[in-house]
Amino acid sequence: MASLMSLRRELFSLARILSGVSHLVRFLLFFLMQITVTEEPDMLFQKVVILVKGHDRAVLDSYEFFATMAAKELGITIGKVFEPPKAIERLTLLKSIHIFKKHRVQYEMRTHYRCIELYNITGCTAQVYLEYIQRNLPEGVAMEVTKTAMEKIPDHILEPLWKEIPTDDKPSQ
Amino acid sequence: YLQNKKTAKFYPSIRFLYPSCHRNRAARIRVGKGDRPVTYEQAHHPHHIAHRKGWLSQHTSNLKGEDRAAERTIEDVFIRRFVFGTFHGCLANEIVIKRRGNVLSVCAVMLQKLPPQKFYFLIGYTESLLSHFYKCPVKLEIQTLQDKAVYKYL
Repeated sequence: MASLMSLRRELFSLARILSGVSHLVRFLLFFLMQITVTEEPDMLFQKVVILVKGHDRAVLDSYEFFATMAAKELGITIGKVFEPPKAIERLTLLKSIHIFKKHRVQYEMRTHYRCIELYNITGCTAQVYLEYIQRNLPEGVAMEVTKTAMEKIPDHILEPLWKEIPTDDKPSQ
Repeated sequence: YLQNKKTAKFYPSIRFLYPSCHRNRAARIRVGKGDRPVTYEQAHHPHHIAHRKGWLSQHTSNLKGEDRAAERTIEDVFIRRFVFGTFHGCLANEIVIKRRGNVLSVCAVMLQKLPPQKFYFLIGYTESLLSHFYKCPVKLEIQTLQDKAVYKYL
């Protein structure tokens, strides 16, 4: 029941945002309206870490602005938004096709990163948000998502073992 | 001076005499008399990429931790030659290839040399052939100009 209500709430807030945005995203809204509702309890995520990598820092800047704005509109608590240091991969090749070993050419490939952390998010919200974010990923940008889920502690480890020993303690002959 | 010990010839250490010491010639147009029109893309040298130029082919396989870069490069080379051949003499500038999910988007700027009906036919033909080759949706986004956009004359 709570999952149904949360789903409806998310869809309404999404409808509110997306009514002001392009028709392409309206198609996304229509597509999302056909989600099936189940009775099983929703997954709870303690942390969802989105790491975006790309060659162009300006593109990652604008994408971060877009993602944080979308998260704020959906009411998701944003944790840290930071920029891990860039990784440069360098190659040194011979300049000439034959001999001339002392003359080389260097190339490099730069990968810039951007990390967005979201805390305490439900499975439905995460699914909707990630789908929206991923559909609007710019070309040449890759994303890695790490989710930390919270599960209920299984019952058999709630009680300490030594409380059950008096019943099991029978002299074995 | 440097002396080659094997042949005992005289090798003066004057930089311009040696072919390998020529400056880089990759993707550069040398300054000439001033009558040759040159586009923005051609006028800027490769070290200006990410500063004054963008990327002509945008995909994620050259990022750290991603693979299949060679396959993307081969596809790009084939697509460039294919489009250059189908729209012969109509291309104003280099083709930009973007990959977004499964979709291959080829963006080109053309000159208005052909009537629009032929253009539409060629666009449809390219899109369907390339989609069948690469088993993914290929979209061609074309803009037309009267003449090439000249940045400067070299």
